[in-house]
Amino acid sequence: MFQSVYVIARNTFREVIRDRILYGLAVFGVMLVMFALALGQLSFSDHVRLTANFGFTAIHISSAILSIFIGSTLVSREIEKQTILTLLARPISRTQFILGKAMGLMGVILCVDLGLALILALILAGIDFEFSVNFGVAMFGVLIEALLLVSLTLFYGTFAKPFMTVVFSAASFLLGHWISSLDFFVEKSQSEGFRIVGGLLMRAVPNLEAFNWRSAPVYNLQVAPGEVLVALFYGLAWSLILLSATSIIFRRRDFV
Amino acid sequence: MSSSAPVLQVRGLKKTFITPFRRLRVPALKKIDFQINAGEITGFLGANGAGKTTTIKCLLELAFPDEGEITYFGQKGLSLEAKARIGFLPERPYFYEHLTGLEFLQFYGQLSGRIRGVDLRRRAEELLERVKLQHAGTRPLRGYSKGMLQRIGIAQALIHRPDFVILDEPMTGLDPDGRFEVREIIREVAKQGTAVFFSSHLLPDAEQLCRRLVIVKKGEMVFEGGTHELLDQVQRGWLIHWRSPENPNELKSETVADLVNLQVQIDAVRKRGGQIEDVTRVRASLEEIFMKIGFEDSALLKSQQGRSPEVVR
Ligand SMILES: Nc1ncnc2c1ncn2[C@@H]1O[C@H](COP(=O)(O)OP(=O)(O)OP(=O)(O)O)[C@@H](O)[C@H]1O
Ligand SMILES: [Mg+2]
Repeated sequence: MFQSVYVIARNTFREVIRDRILYGLAVFGVMLVMFALALGQLSFSDHVRLTANFGFTAIHISSAILSIFIGSTLVSREIEKQTILTLLARPISRTQFILGKAMGLMGVILCVDLGLALILALILAGIDFEFSVNFGVAMFGVLIEALLLVSLTLFYGTFAKPFMTVVFSAASFLLGHWISSLDFFVEKSQSEGFRIVGGLLMRAVPNLEAFNWRSAPVYNLQVAPGEVLVALFYGLAWSLILLSATSIIFRRRDFV
Repeated sequence: MSSSAPVLQVRGLKKTFITPFRRLRVPALKKIDFQINAGEITGFLGANGAGKTTTIKCLLELAFPDEGEITYFGQKGLSLEAKARIGFLPERPYFYEHLTGLEFLQFYGQLSGRIRGVDLRRRAEELLERVKLQHAGTRPLRGYSKGMLQRIGIAQALIHRPDFVILDEPMTGLDPDGRFEVREIIREVAKQGTAVFFSSHLLPDAEQLCRRLVIVKKGEMVFEGGTHELLDQVQRGWLIHWRSPENPNELKSETVADLVNLQVQIDAVRKRGGQIEDVTRVRASLEEIFMKIGFEDSALLKSQQGRSPEVVR
């Protein structure tokens, strides 16, 4: 079972790292992180915090873009190029195929995110930033979010073309970050209808702010381990639901 | 592998495609039944659009039939264990462009779960050589020509030493040498006990290679059985070559319809002092059989339009 997932994941990893698109996106990420340094120079008072803040945001955005853009063609490309035919003729299930694709891309995102984190760490080390475990916690949140976004994108990809998949995923990304602010309005709202719609929306869209610990290393805030654990389960549960739905939709599909 | 149970049994396979948007129903397979025996080469023939690829996709659950029963190695359905014993070459060989030939073969070997490590690497190299791609093993498939992709595709289907290989038009897109090679490979593989099922419209290839044939026409089976059986059914008489005493430089020939006429014609030649050079059976080639099938087919269409009742074959 896991052997096959691993073999597919490894091939997916290889496929993505040998694709030029990745380098475009990775260079964009590196430039964005480097820009944090330049931005920090502009501000005299709080330039360490500004640099750190922008740096984490840069990694977060790059990671999300990577998840959504590469995720959107991950399966559709196999179908379009018909490589899926020989693959599924092998003793693997369609669920293993979906899991392998997701894991392979996660492997790439892990490498890119760690690379960007290393660059940010080097930059911050140069401007007397105070490192703590929070740096790792912030990165951990970015990675769980990436897993969720990859799962979401694969899910959309089962019924939408790559372009629309990107649109749906990007919309979910924005909504997922905005949804926690909706919470406030929903609670305060007088309108019953708004409360119901808002409540439904909050349950239908994963709350991506749950993984946002990016201000913790910047302002030296405490993050409770329990909070991280709960968020981890929340993220894993969403991914599991989305990937299961993806493979169920995929299970009876004809490849013609 | 037990040689008694057939490798594959197909019963009552039906598949109708529904086109997107306009929701048109395209009955691609109407009723397909056939069987493939262990170690035998079976040809799968049919004109364009007859339903060969659709049948093969249904066999591998790449598409799901509406009806029908498929039995592999004596067990119903396509289990992962059965899949591990099958090799497959799709119609259009598009493969992972980012992999080199060697990586590609190793990847598929690993996926089969049947072969790994040093054994796999050796097998991959051996197959690369067998399909004459040893020089290209370290190059990415992106740079392969169409024929090279076809060859590496065949190697991919064989990497795990399957008991049964399904090849969808393995010779299409190859030059004459390539076709010859593929034919040789199919023969070799069969000799080692692997059952081969391959589709083609290249009739001479099937005629030479296959002991058994399955022929489809517009989604329906029109023939299943021995190649010779089919050819005997369409026996068209005998061809005699002879030389007459008056003009010995000219080789004359004549076709006769049956054995009685053959004797009569031979006697006539001999009586006049002629010399018989050669007598051969004339059989319709599969090409002609196809033409005939095609012809009947148009007749069938016409009578259907005219609503005459005697249309069913
Ligand atoms: N996705 C699809 N939607 C609608 N009809 C389809 C689809 N795929 C195949 N068909 C139809 O099913 C029939 C059989 O097609 P199939 O590809 O199996 O033929 P084939 O025998 O492999 O032909 P060829 O020799 O050209 O490869 C054709 O009439 C084709 O138009
Ligand atoms: Mg075909």
